[in-house]
Amino acid sequence: MSDQKLLSMPVSRRSVLGTIAAAGAATVFSPLGATRVFAQEPEKPSEIIVRAWGGSWVDSLKAGVSDSFTKMTGIAVRHDLTEDNEIQPKVWAAVAQKRVPPIHVNWDTTTNATKSALRGVTEDLSDLPNLKNTTDLAKPVGLDGYPIVNTYGYVYVLAYRPSAFPDGPPTSWKDLLDPKLKGRIALYNDGIGFHFPAQVAGGGKLEDIPGNMQPAWDFIAKIKEQQPLLGEDPDFTTWFQKGEIDAACTISTNAREAKKNGIELAWVVPEEGAKFDTDGLWIPKGLPENELYWAKQYINHALDKEAQQVWLDGLGLPGVVPGLTPPADLANDPSYPTTEEAFKHLIRISSKVQVENESVWFAKFKEIMQG
Amino acid sequence: MNLSNGARESAAAQAAVSVKNVSMRYDDFYAVRDASFDVPKGKFLTILGPSGSGKTTLLRLIAGFGKPTSGEIFIGGQPVSAVPPHKRVIGMVFQKLALFPHMTAAQNVAFPLKMRRHDARTIADQVERYLELVKLGGFGSRRIHEMSGGQQQRVAIARALVFEPDLLLLDEPLAALDVKLREEMQLEFRRIQKELGVTTINVTHDQREAMVVSDEVIVMNDGLIQQRANPVTAYRTPQNAFVANFIGVTNFLEGPATSVSGNEVAFRCAGHELSGISVGSGPEIKAGMSCSGAIRAEQIRVAAAPEKLADLTFRFTGEIIDAIFEGERMVYEVNVAELGGVSFRVFDHDPIGHTQFLPGERVLVGWNPKDMHVFGNNHSPN
Amino acid sequence: MRNSRVAYPLTWRVMDMLENVCARIWPASLHRLLPYLMLLPAVVLVGLLVLGLFQIGDASLRVLDTSTFLFSEDYSLENYRQAITSGFFAVVASRSLMGSVIVTVITLLFALPYAYLMVRTQSSGLRKFLLVALFLPFFIGQVVRAYGWLIILGNQGMVNEALGLVGVPPVRLLYNYPAVLFGLIQYMLPFAVLMLAPALTAIPEELESAAGSLGANWVRTFRHIVLPLARPGLVGAGLVVMTLSLTDFAIPAILGGGSQDFIANAIYDQFFRTSNQGLGAALSLMLVAVGSIMVGVVFAVFGAGTLAMTGGRK
Repeated sequence: MSDQKLLSMPVSRRSVLGTIAAAGAATVFSPLGATRVFAQEPEKPSEIIVRAWGGSWVDSLKAGVSDSFTKMTGIAVRHDLTEDNEIQPKVWAAVAQKRVPPIHVNWDTTTNATKSALRGVTEDLSDLPNLKNTTDLAKPVGLDGYPIVNTYGYVYVLAYRPSAFPDGPPTSWKDLLDPKLKGRIALYNDGIGFHFPAQVAGGGKLEDIPGNMQPAWDFIAKIKEQQPLLGEDPDFTTWFQKGEIDAACTISTNAREAKKNGIELAWVVPEEGAKFDTDGLWIPKGLPENELYWAKQYINHALDKEAQQVWLDGLGLPGVVPGLTPPADLANDPSYPTTEEAFKHLIRISSKVQVENESVWFAKFKEIMQG
Repeated sequence: MNLSNGARESAAAQAAVSVKNVSMRYDDFYAVRDASFDVPKGKFLTILGPSGSGKTTLLRLIAGFGKPTSGEIFIGGQPVSAVPPHKRVIGMVFQKLALFPHMTAAQNVAFPLKMRRHDARTIADQVERYLELVKLGGFGSRRIHEMSGGQQQRVAIARALVFEPDLLLLDEPLAALDVKLREEMQLEFRRIQKELGVTTINVTHDQREAMVVSDEVIVMNDGLIQQRANPVTAYRTPQNAFVANFIGVTNFLEGPATSVSGNEVAFRCAGHELSGISVGSGPEIKAGMSCSGAIRAEQIRVAAAPEKLADLTFRFTGEIIDAIFEGERMVYEVNVAELGGVSFRVFDHDPIGHTQFLPGERVLVGWNPKDMHVFGNNHSPN
Repeated sequence: MRNSRVAYPLTWRVMDMLENVCARIWPASLHRLLPYLMLLPAVVLVGLLVLGLFQIGDASLRVLDTSTFLFSEDYSLENYRQAITSGFFAVVASRSLMGSVIVTVITLLFALPYAYLMVRTQSSGLRKFLLVALFLPFFIGQVVRAYGWLIILGNQGMVNEALGLVGVPPVRLLYNYPAVLFGLIQYMLPFAVLMLAPALTAIPEELESAAGSLGANWVRTFRHIVLPLARPGLVGAGLVVMTLSLTDFAIPAILGGGSQDFIANAIYDQFFRTSNQGLGAALSLMLVAVGSIMVGVVFAVFGAGTLAMTGGRK
């Protein structure tokens, strides 16, 4: 918003007073942690709206974060299950038109959230008190400050059906080229999670991303000959369950979900590495001051060790607070990195680079796959 | 009909169409019941009957739209039950004409020739010839909806005849026309039929049409054939009360037969003995049987003075109820008090030459025994 | 006095009152405006659509800057250039176009005998059965139906299980172009039948009897009489099926297994996956243009069919 626009806005006495009061509150009560002690808290809204993914995802969030937040503050939490990619244009439009956004907190992929951050529609979250207890995973790579707070990470593993690999687990992404896997493998339909390991498997270097990704495209072209199925998160679980596929590049959560449903499944991080990425929480601009305060409290609470433990037990993913106990089935699992050593096998590319190039990568991937 | 079986077969072989004991049943309803008749080659036969009498069903069976429940139809001596319509060489003019709206008149007429894979030249010549025959030369390129009702009739006839079928079927094609056009087309049908000599079966509920066009008439009612005769015979000597009532305008008197001798019956009505009446050609009448006596409206005369009816055997007093002047005739409705108040319709075919009576006037009605027919009452007159 | 009031029922008095109120709000002198007033909703709806189209047009001329995720202030044709030159969009476009033509032809081929039988059958039982069989899938949404096919045609689905019984190893029946076309045809069939049925009903049965008596067997009757007379219905049904399948989203998405995108799927990706509304808008407008051209061509070649505005004959 330019100064020009600010000045040309009709200014009412009420809004001036409101702004001054808010500014005052911000200076007096900052940082947030200190406010508790001597300030009266801003007025509580009756509820805050958190966008979330459905199924076991929202169940975990509710159990770990929302319920305890409500218990602590008395503020109800409503979960809006609009798809992440569909809420985005709504939030952008609301901010552009200076309306109150439809949600208080967005649970989002870091990549998607980065677009909103670059666009400048996210509130800065640097002043959350619990941030000081987090590992550096919480900080988005390639962005200034904390327009997003990453809350956990996940790995795009190579999930496989052991019965289809009688000679032992696959060790390389190249194992997907085995002729007997023709028509039996699956990737995301835009290739997400696969571009970077493909770059390595195709003989290229990660440093060349995004400048030269030819090795990745060459490898993907070879994979295409294997006639992979292309889908989205729910598809992978279904496909494993229905016996449609024997191997897939998918986030570990989907594979674990199928395993929980009684399908014999395992997963590895192959020698070329696997993409590591994060999800996070962020707050759209344009909320009333008091609601913004409580939305921040919600995210702050999501970084609480207790909340993280319950939430991420449900998801089976590594959090951003040190000292969490992994679920029993995931101790020492490559999809649940906790040590320096484990992270060395994972590929992490700056969100900024990703969002600037993903439309090209997606288009290229689809061109190869659907050409 | 005392022909031997073999002679019958050969008569059937000579007939263009022979219908033998044909019945058509829908569930427990008989549309046609045990119909049998032959149509000699080149004759024009009309099946006459009210709606629901089974006449159209019978025609459609001959055309091949549906299979008789029992019985057999022979065309040119061959049984045709197993022959689909498109293989029976029959021209048919439908009630609503069924002209193809997406074709021109010429294309309509050419259709049956095209279906028979004649070459284009033959088709063109033949179409031209038949359009001429129905007086539509030069109208070939017209679309159907650009033509008048009469022209459409003519196209339908040309289309039904152009492939020179053995048999022409007419399914009340004139019913929808106004009276003038209908009468004109009736004469057209007759002219064309005579010109081509094609065996024709016509179906109608219009007794006038049946009289005008036909060599022979079959009267049907309730799925049963009532009478088969040439038009004059059917009119003059109806075989039963239904036929008498359906063809022409007929007055009925009810009463028991008192004596029967030969072809003459005596019959009592409202205390009057009417004797010397001819017996209708129906079932045999016995003394004491309940009967209907039928007299045509035009065979009754009305007069004020008895002298004017001196030549008539039966004379009764009555009162004019209604008098309608129809131009070529006068129609009276007379309440005949002397016969128990029965109502008579009487035609006077010389309304200008004769005195006209007015409602309320007391008159005499009279007729001769020979013009009256008595039927045993196993069929109600209506 | 009381009696007279009672004799005049309450409902009458209420109606009188309502009538008076109506007359005051909408006096008789305004009555001739009523037809125009009734047109208003349609006008507003179309107007909104046109407004939306303008907005999409505006968006299509702005380019996304992926370092700020904002759109350029100035107009350019970059999005169109990208759409036309991209190999992927060319593949998707030709796949959708070809698909819609194939689906239209096969759907009409299946729908015509179905509609004919439904209209002509003498048995009311059969007619009811055909109607129910037609409407049952109609009530089940497109997405649910597509998932139904996943269950039936999957590797462990009914069809493959049946094949397994005769010793045939599982065959991949899903996630390919034929599967998408199959799903679309199955989805479109009721639309086509419903549009064809009135056109066939309008053909007097007597015309077919006439053709029979004139020497045409049923094949030739169908070819020379029924088909030409059903043309308005065929054109109308064809247009509906073609535009619906050209712009379909769910069936290619679900039965195509991510490898058989149609134009709508590509547009969805631009709007919701890569947040490039500019490119998405450009693709949308091009789809509108292609669809309109197809409809125009059909109108020009076959006439407007049952969709013709005037009842007039040619």
